[in-house]
Amino acid sequence: MKIVEYTITDALGIHARPAGMLVKEAAKFQSDIKIASPKKEVDAKRIMGVMSLGAKQGDLVKLTIAGGDEAEAAEALELFLKQNL
Amino acid sequence: MFGKLKGLFGGASGVAVAAPVSGTVVPLADVSDPTFAQGILGQGAAVLPSEGRIVAPADGTVDVMFDTGHAVSMTTADGAELLIHVGIDTVQLNGQHYKACCKAGEKVTKGQTLIEFDPEAIKAAGYDTVTPVIVCNSDAYAAVKLEASGAVAAGDALLSLQQK
Repeated sequence: MKIVEYTITDALGIHARPAGMLVKEAAKFQSDIKIASPKKEVDAKRIMGVMSLGAKQGDLVKLTIAGGDEAEAAEALELFLKQNL
Repeated sequence: MFGKLKGLFGGASGVAVAAPVSGTVVPLADVSDPTFAQGILGQGAAVLPSEGRIVAPADGTVDVMFDTGHAVSMTTADGAELLIHVGIDTVQLNGQHYKACCKAGEKVTKGQTLIEFDPEAIKAAGYDTVTPVIVCNSDAYAAVKLEASGAVAAGDALLSLQQK
């Protein structure tokens, strides 16, 4: 299992577009991927769930990744978060 | 009544999604934001609003009412996960010209007001008011069919979702 933690720096937080992009990235991997905000944890491959996190600037989000390609997934998603959020 | 409409518009196994606002139907591929046009958030259609009121396109439960009032998501009684995004890039307005009329977890009925907004002010601020209606769980359906073109009134059939 891999854990990725990231503090949102984007002023707008995870709104609809970044939620869609994050899910698209997560869906590339076989691993089970969960994302948690200070409010709750959801499936990172479901757009409705990721939008419902309500993650704002300054919030710590935590990805929990488990599966055969967890190392690659962790690396790709960490990069995605840094570049987009 | 709802069952009869489903029969008319969605076929026996289809789920009907109504237009959430009156206006002109715009195919999703013609929306200027590639996140919507390329279906990254799911399949659907858009409406260019002719009025400033978004209503529930079906009975269901509100999942997320964005603080900024520019978008709302809900799960219909049939299990369709819908996102209604009022305008393009309008998250940037940070709530200005929008009023949220519902909250997360609230049960809503078709036609109930979800968001009020000021289309003229949003346009004057330099934003496109085209409003995508997205089925976020499109993969759960065999097809998402556009059921309207040209002018629509809020409550008219917009999409039908064909069960797998």
